[in-house]
Amino acid sequence: MNNDLESKLKHALRPVAPSDAFTQRLLARVAASRDSRPQARPTASRITRRAAWWTSAALAASVLAAVGIQHQLQTERERTLGLQARRQVIEALRVTSQKLDLAYQAVRTQSVGGDRDSGV
Amino acid sequence: MRIFRSSILGALLMPALAFAAASPQLVLPDFTALSQKAAQSTTITLDSTLLSLAGRFLDGDDPQDAAAKDVIKGIKGIYVRSFTFDTDSAYSQSDFEAVRRQLTAPAWSRLVQTRSKKTHADVDIYVMIVDKQAVGLALISSEPRALTIVNIVGSIDLEKLHKLEGQFGVPKLDLEPQK
Repeated sequence: MNNDLESKLKHALRPVAPSDAFTQRLLARVAASRDSRPQARPTASRITRRAAWWTSAALAASVLAAVGIQHQLQTERERTLGLQARRQVIEALRVTSQKLDLAYQAVRTQSVGGDRDSGV
Repeated sequence: MRIFRSSILGALLMPALAFAAASPQLVLPDFTALSQKAAQSTTITLDSTLLSLAGRFLDGDDPQDAAAKDVIKGIKGIYVRSFTFDTDSAYSQSDFEAVRRQLTAPAWSRLVQTRSKKTHADVDIYVMIVDKQAVGLALISSEPRALTIVNIVGSIDLEKLHKLEGQFGVPKLDLEPQK
């Protein structure tokens, strides 16, 4: 009885070569699961591309920042120069006006018989 | 031959010299020695670029700025050298003789000459007129303790300059120009 059962089991569990259809299905499923699995590690070329992108972006940002700072400095310089020129204009006109007044005053004094010798 | 060459060179240079002499912009000497002696000195050099820049910073709503803006409208340059001294006779006529030498006819005409026996303050005003328009003004004011030279280049409205009286800290004197 025991021998009969044992032989039946051996027969049922004997190694059997898979059918071609089964092999095809298995390989197809393995291939499909490999495609859908996310990449665990980026390749070296992808790392290089990403680094290049960041470098370019950083460079562009630096150039933009430099241009902005330069423009700001130029505006500030122009403003300082403009305010200085404005002060000089006011001072120059003050001095000129003061000396013209001196002359006008002299002319007027002379016209009423003052102390000056003047000619117009 | 040498005389001939000199004559040709002279003939070629003559128009250039005449043009230089007729410029409304004076060649102001280096007043370093004078400024070292002075208790206070003012050196202002404003060319057309600086004047136009200054114009942008003059506020049209402010009366003083508006007046200044109006005056500098046709002006191409303002050059001021002003010195104040602590003592009398700190400078001599020779210090500004180089300026006076440039102010000769026919390019320049003396508009006003005032001499005060009392205060010893002399003011000479010269104008350069081209096509009935003043294109240059020169002012030399010599007082015992002060020397001022002003050169304004460009179309100048003396009436406007006179109207500045009462502004820029100059007291209003209610003066009328000589008729």
